[in-house]
Amino acid sequence: MSDKILYSLTGLFDTPDEIIAAAEKVQSEGYTKYDVNTPYPVHGMDSAMKLPMSRLPYVAMVVGITGMFLALFFMWWTNSVDYPLVIGGKPYFAFPAYVPIMFEVTVLSASIATVVTMIAIVFKFPNNSHPLMDTEYMKNVSVDKYGISIAADDPKFDFDKVKSLLESLGAKNITPIYYKEEDLNFKPKTFEPKFVIAMIVLFAAVSAVTYITLNKLMYLPPFDWMMEQSKVIAQERSDVFEDGRGMRTPVEGTVARGFLPYKFKNNPEAAGKYLVNPLAATEENLSLGEKKFDIYCSPCHGYLAEGDSRLKGQFPSPPSLHSKKVRNWSDGRIYHVITEGQNAMPSYAYQLSRKERWAVVLYIRALQRSLNAKESDLQ
Amino acid sequence: MSSIDYTQELPVIEGRPTLKEINELIAKPLDQKPDKKFYIALSITLTMLLAGAIALGFTFYYGVGLWGNNNPVGWGFPIVNFVFWVGIGHAGTLISAILFLFRQKWRNGIARFAEGMTIFAVMTAGLFPLIHVGRPWLAGYLIPYPNQHSLWVDFNSPLLWDVFAVSTYFTVSFIFWYVGLIPDFASLRDRAVGKVKKTIYSIFSLGWRHSNRHWSHYEMVYLVLAGFATPLVLSVHTIVSFDFAVSILPGWHATIFPPYFVAGAVFSGFAMVQNVLIFIRKIFNYEHIITLDTLEKMNKIIILTGSMVGYAYAMEFFTAWYSGVQPEQFTFINRAFGPYAWAYWIMVSCNVIFPQLFWIRKIRRSIPVMFVIAVLVNVGMWFERFVITVTSLHRDFLPSSWAYFKPTVVDVAILIGSFGFFFTWILLFTKSLPVVSIAEIKAVNEGAQPSHGEH
Amino acid sequence: MSDSPDVINYTKKELPSNFVKFGYAAFVAGLVLVILSLFVDNVRSAFSGVMLLMFVASIGVGSLFWIVAEYLSGAVWSTPFRRVAEFLGAVLFVLPVIALPAYFNMHDIFHWTHQEVVKSDHYLSAKAPYLNVPFFTIRSIVFIGIWVLFYYLITKNSRLQDSTKDQNLTRKNIKLSAVFVPLFALSITFFAIDWLMSLEPHWFSTIFGVYYFAGTVLAAMAAITYIVVTLSEKGYFFEGVKADHYYSFGALLFGFVNFWAYIAFSQFLLIWYANLPEETIWYLQRWEGYWMYFSIALIFIHFIIPYFGLLAQPSKMSPKRLKFMSLWILFAHFFDIMWMTMPTYQEFGYIPGWIELGYALFAIGLILVVFNWKASKENLVPVGDPKLKRGINFRL
Repeated sequence: MSDKILYSLTGLFDTPDEIIAAAEKVQSEGYTKYDVNTPYPVHGMDSAMKLPMSRLPYVAMVVGITGMFLALFFMWWTNSVDYPLVIGGKPYFAFPAYVPIMFEVTVLSASIATVVTMIAIVFKFPNNSHPLMDTEYMKNVSVDKYGISIAADDPKFDFDKVKSLLESLGAKNITPIYYKEEDLNFKPKTFEPKFVIAMIVLFAAVSAVTYITLNKLMYLPPFDWMMEQSKVIAQERSDVFEDGRGMRTPVEGTVARGFLPYKFKNNPEAAGKYLVNPLAATEENLSLGEKKFDIYCSPCHGYLAEGDSRLKGQFPSPPSLHSKKVRNWSDGRIYHVITEGQNAMPSYAYQLSRKERWAVVLYIRALQRSLNAKESDLQ
Repeated sequence: MSSIDYTQELPVIEGRPTLKEINELIAKPLDQKPDKKFYIALSITLTMLLAGAIALGFTFYYGVGLWGNNNPVGWGFPIVNFVFWVGIGHAGTLISAILFLFRQKWRNGIARFAEGMTIFAVMTAGLFPLIHVGRPWLAGYLIPYPNQHSLWVDFNSPLLWDVFAVSTYFTVSFIFWYVGLIPDFASLRDRAVGKVKKTIYSIFSLGWRHSNRHWSHYEMVYLVLAGFATPLVLSVHTIVSFDFAVSILPGWHATIFPPYFVAGAVFSGFAMVQNVLIFIRKIFNYEHIITLDTLEKMNKIIILTGSMVGYAYAMEFFTAWYSGVQPEQFTFINRAFGPYAWAYWIMVSCNVIFPQLFWIRKIRRSIPVMFVIAVLVNVGMWFERFVITVTSLHRDFLPSSWAYFKPTVVDVAILIGSFGFFFTWILLFTKSLPVVSIAEIKAVNEGAQPSHGEH
Repeated sequence: MSDSPDVINYTKKELPSNFVKFGYAAFVAGLVLVILSLFVDNVRSAFSGVMLLMFVASIGVGSLFWIVAEYLSGAVWSTPFRRVAEFLGAVLFVLPVIALPAYFNMHDIFHWTHQEVVKSDHYLSAKAPYLNVPFFTIRSIVFIGIWVLFYYLITKNSRLQDSTKDQNLTRKNIKLSAVFVPLFALSITFFAIDWLMSLEPHWFSTIFGVYYFAGTVLAAMAAITYIVVTLSEKGYFFEGVKADHYYSFGALLFGFVNFWAYIAFSQFLLIWYANLPEETIWYLQRWEGYWMYFSIALIFIHFIIPYFGLLAQPSKMSPKRLKFMSLWILFAHFFDIMWMTMPTYQEFGYIPGWIELGYALFAIGLILVVFNWKASKENLVPVGDPKLKRGINFRL
């Protein structure tokens, strides 16, 4: 027995009054490394042991305030800087709306930090191999006894003196507590094969679990709900219809939007007679006409409509639009040519909308007038 | 009528048991094999849970069209159940934190169980937002993390506040509960005989050795946690009420919603705690720990919070009239006399009228009667959420789109399933952990504290 | 003194003379300024009269609330100091008198008293069954009447107990308190609606009664705390006033500072978020011109400063801190009432002047004079209360 190392000398008491008196006495004797173990917190014990007030609330305060400002910063950055979005007419930085989350984050961070600090840093838990563990003393104080334990490494510790002190206080079951042998002789066996294998297995398991969790379980496919919709798109097959085509021809007697049929097909005279330019010669319409003329007409007709094609013989040059014949044409006649084409000129109905065609007509008229201005134009 | 002597403090625990007796009594249910009654109860709750699980399976497979939700009533049972269960949880924190701050010693007997109930109720509640999104596997997008779309969540949305509030609430409640359990695990460890049990308790007790140098910090942290949990519990149901109240819908948008929801939550939660404790004190012979006086005090809190809820009903009605805004007035008249008048009057009678019976001392102290009233309170509080959600929606601003909401079998099965889920946890809890805090009960036992002598 | 004596040795003492002198000086100076102001600027004076009424009502009915709360909750720590609340509650008797300056100038304060305006305004004519002068008068009388009645009944029993030491009186008071609580909730709500909310007759908020309640109980608790700490430092109570008692006062102050902030923020957030014009108007008024600085200041004065002032545990026990913070909270409550009242008087900002100062002085003086009048007649400690000894020996 003598090779064991003494940890402390313990004594038990039956009532809270006795233990308070004992703690006060031990404290006043000048012992520093002693502890009182009670099944529940006994009021007045902190002052009997002259314990300072716990400073853990400061942890709560510091971490809480930090958490609050981090939350505010994060919300500001995400909702006002990185991805600003107006929602419900609120400003990008909608402070009142952030208050609830600031509060929640404050509470969450402060609570976790305080408890973790207490358990892991202040108490140094988990600690299941403390010498007091599994002793009769511990089994008593965890039920209904009040114990005091004076540690052997206290500078004033003297086995007999402490023993008589405890006896004089009326302690029962005065017992010395020793370190457990296996704890004292404990040597970490880092390179034992078993341990190494266990570590490797653990490593593999953690990696596998992490991989599966992150890449399989928690993997969210990118949004593709817009790309892959269960609708029929152009040129697609569809089993809904008998002929198996997804695209349908218009119903008899209907006109698709923007596809009003042209009444004067193959009838240039009637077109010249009945069609009237609906557009006024405004600057806007003329510039639209100029733009379209320069794009679609000028390659053959030339920028000034003189038939000086830029294609230079690769395509038959058209006649000038300044000829008397064309000048005497009505707007509708010219419109008909653009719509239907003439000789080598194809129809431009697919390139130019109705309005654009009339705008081109206006522009041609302006060009014609620029070369053959009347007397009255000069005034 | 026995008169009370005001010069003496009433003992919290009756019959002056010794500390050893307390220890044994509370630890006993953990040593015995569960009896037949336990298995019967468990099979009932599991059946309910199964019904809910099947209904959920159908919902996720076929979609939320299986529910009764229709066009104006886009929020149906899931929200009602969510608010109901979060509310149930609130009593736990109120008992463990707020009454702790007020130094109400009678709370010590019921705090542990109420805290456990909080955790299970919040777990149950937490399911419903996931259910309600219809595609629960996409709920991950509620978490603000740098995702592949460079999108962030909208911090202006009260639904997102909910995510933070409920998860914070669950975490903090769990921490609070576990911190309270540490000394009890140590006590259980020191009396455990079997090796397996001892190991398990050792792990969870973290090596607690009842040291006063630890108690000193422990009590301070417990106080700090209670100080945090108190505003937290207010904030959680406040934020739940914001889900409704930040809108401009008449019947939802009322400034009284936050305190009104909190009072209602505490109200229903106390009723639930009282209901379950009545069984527990009987089955585990805790009648002298969870005393009739404690139950009476709970009933007083029920009547107080019930009256607060009644005050809120009255103020809503008055303000709707006083505002002079026609849609406001219509909503409230429609509530009380429209197609959902039946639900409204169930709510009013169960929440405001029946609890008033607790003014009578005899009823306050009669266990069968208080049990029935508390059940009615829970029915009433469920209907309160139903009334708020459905009646405000079913007749919206456009009369042509008015409709009547009828729950389907799936809706009801999910509701039953939530009860199954909750009570399954409760049953497992009663058999695996001490439902009464050993250390806290010892601390308020008569003669457990030193006589306040100054030396 | 391991066991305090069963008989509590209490000898009645006069209040400290500078306390009394200050009270009378403030009362007289205030009264002069108040009367003067009624002739100089009767509109502004009437608005200040509303502030005076609401502030004094806060102290009075709030103190009554704390008395009732003690009986109902069975609290013992506050029993030795209950008389302070009872003395403060006596200002309820003078409420009808101090309501007069505002009442007789009603036409200048309340927009809804103008018949022709009401007729042409759809919303006001809809409210006319509630907001009209006769009904308003009846309501104010009934509410003040309820408070005075219950104050009288409860304190009478309490006084009687000094000599009889009859426990049945405590039982009676508990019953009275239980009856009073629902009446209190309704009366204070509608009192606040009548005198503060109807200043802006179009505006409405369901929580308004709770908001005023939060400020009221906080202010009353602050007044009680200040007097208790001051007097007990001078040895007016008993030896046993300990940090535990102080801590309870500090904790309640701290709790209700938070409660006020919670209610105020809830009201603001919901109105701000929903952004309905008929509701936001009230906050917009308080965000225009100088009022913006008042609004921002309110957050600091009523929440942030007292919050950090009382946050730490030692500060809840320190007499010096408690005295300062309770005076600060009383000021904050006055400021809050001003913030609710004055934007109706003057838009785009306002600078408090001698009229408001006069009314504030008058309020302080009045409360002290009434307190002194009660204290000269009655015991400062409820010597016959069965809970007294437990209260003195109270430990956290």
